[in-house]
Amino acid sequence: MTTKAKLLTTITAITLSMIVWSCASISVFSPEAYKQAVDLKVESLNIMSFATMPYADYEEEVIYLNTELDKAFEFSKGRPDNEISTEQWEILIDKEGNLLGGFLKRWETEGSLSEMFVTEMQILVSDAFDTIIGLESGKIDPSEFK
Amino acid sequence: MPTFNDFVSILKSDLLDFAKENLEEYKNELLKDGTLFIEKVKSDLERWTEGLASGALSKTDFEFLLKGKKDLAQMEALKQLGLSKIRITKITNSIIDVVVGSAVKTFL
Repeated sequence: MTTKAKLLTTITAITLSMIVWSCASISVFSPEAYKQAVDLKVESLNIMSFATMPYADYEEEVIYLNTELDKAFEFSKGRPDNEISTEQWEILIDKEGNLLGGFLKRWETEGSLSEMFVTEMQILVSDAFDTIIGLESGKIDPSEFK
Repeated sequence: MPTFNDFVSILKSDLLDFAKENLEEYKNELLKDGTLFIEKVKSDLERWTEGLASGALSKTDFEFLLKGKKDLAQMEALKQLGLSKIRITKITNSIIDVVVGSAVKTFL
């Protein structure tokens, strides 16, 4: 084998191994996951705005929202190499935590919440969704690998 | 006829240019994100302590918000970790281009 052929073989081997390694590190962009996060952000902030009123009046909506959030979490969990996004969803919807999951649980437990608390939590939850959306939109489109 | 050493020399120089350009950009982005987050924490704390003092927020509300901010910081850190991985993937792909470009410059 000539030096040139050896060089090309080496470059090809390095290139292939780098592509395989880099593709395995994090999931690619999913338009479905992106849309799911954006839609749930809007729905969550909307339902949160009613938390100054009795929980019993919005119980049905909160149960529906919780189901949709669980679906988003499971969707994220089922995607390959998607551990980081899944961990973000886990923190956001954790009922023992202090973001959306904890907020909805507290509303249920206490019946209603103060106006300033609701407004401030909406800001936090909005920013929390933005971290999920921001990561998803930063992911590489699968077409870039073709 | 160019030698393998010529190729290595060109490749080193190309990679150095590439690294300088990309690492500087990455450093600036991280600093910008970090500064923005700290500024936001500061303004949130100011509003929350005022709310606590005026009675608009209870002690439980205040504690919940503080812990919420901690959870949010964790989510932000995860985002940055993910974006770093994406950047590494992109840089890896670009390095491949640099290697191929240097080889073409040297041998073709």
